[in-house]
Amino acid sequence: MTTIVLASPTLATRSAKIPGNMAIWAAILSEMSEFAIMFIVYFLAKVHNPEIFKEGPTKLSTLAGTSNTIIMLTSSFFVVRAVIAMRENSPEKSVRWLWGAVLCGVLYLIIKYFEYEWNTSQGISTETNIFYAVYYYVTFNHFLHVGWGSAAIIWVIYRLNTGIYTQEEHEGLINIALYWHMIDLAWITIFPLLYVIR
Amino acid sequence: MKITHIKLIEILWLLLIALTLFSAYVAEIPNPGLDSVVIMALVLAIKGRIIVDYFMELKDSHIVLRTLMQVYFYVIPALIILVYLFPEEIAAWTVL
Repeated sequence: MTTIVLASPTLATRSAKIPGNMAIWAAILSEMSEFAIMFIVYFLAKVHNPEIFKEGPTKLSTLAGTSNTIIMLTSSFFVVRAVIAMRENSPEKSVRWLWGAVLCGVLYLIIKYFEYEWNTSQGISTETNIFYAVYYYVTFNHFLHVGWGSAAIIWVIYRLNTGIYTQEEHEGLINIALYWHMIDLAWITIFPLLYVIR
Repeated sequence: MKITHIKLIEILWLLLIALTLFSAYVAEIPNPGLDSVVIMALVLAIKGRIIVDYFMELKDSHIVLRTLMQVYFYVIPALIILVYLFPEEIAAWTVL
């Protein structure tokens, strides 16, 4: 029989059953609602334009979409490792994991830039049809989130380096970890909707 | 056999990558049908649940917060299947 033993207390048990603080959850739930509205727009546009939405994903780069999904998931993994390292009182290790997450964020942005360039060379733009209008609106919005999310991680790295966070008190790190996972959640939803399902 | 927290997170990360590669394979199928749409909806539900429960560590957290986040990954996959099965009906209900 397999038994799962957590090596350290979870975020939840350490902070009254709510990981992070209420402010970050207000932000996360607002952002999740914002993305939910975009997904509803996608579904409505799809049922009213079935042929366009069937054709749309076939002209996008599955390679770019898949690569960015793997990069986002890996960045989330790095962020989890950064939180675990801090709980184990290893701020240096935590900083290294966070730089890994920033690197993933930058890679994501570079791939997305080249994906947009590639689309343009294929004659795809925001005005091609409603599928690509939705695609650009949703993915560019997500692009911005990855940009400022990466910047926020760099801010937390700076704070870690100044020694502000301790093994017992590192709520700022937990907050950005949660926010970054939200950005990841949005992307894992965008990926099947725009690149896979026809 | 005991699994440490780090080992569990590593296994889940690899599972997420495997599910993503599987999605990429489905994306290249010439004429996908209901089966591939259902599979993609299930893959999204599983990936979302893993991140919510284990990466965000909401598995044992406050019930309202946990439920709100988990429900998201029941509703979107359900909508994916409903939109595939009943596009004309939904289109008819959503005309201004």
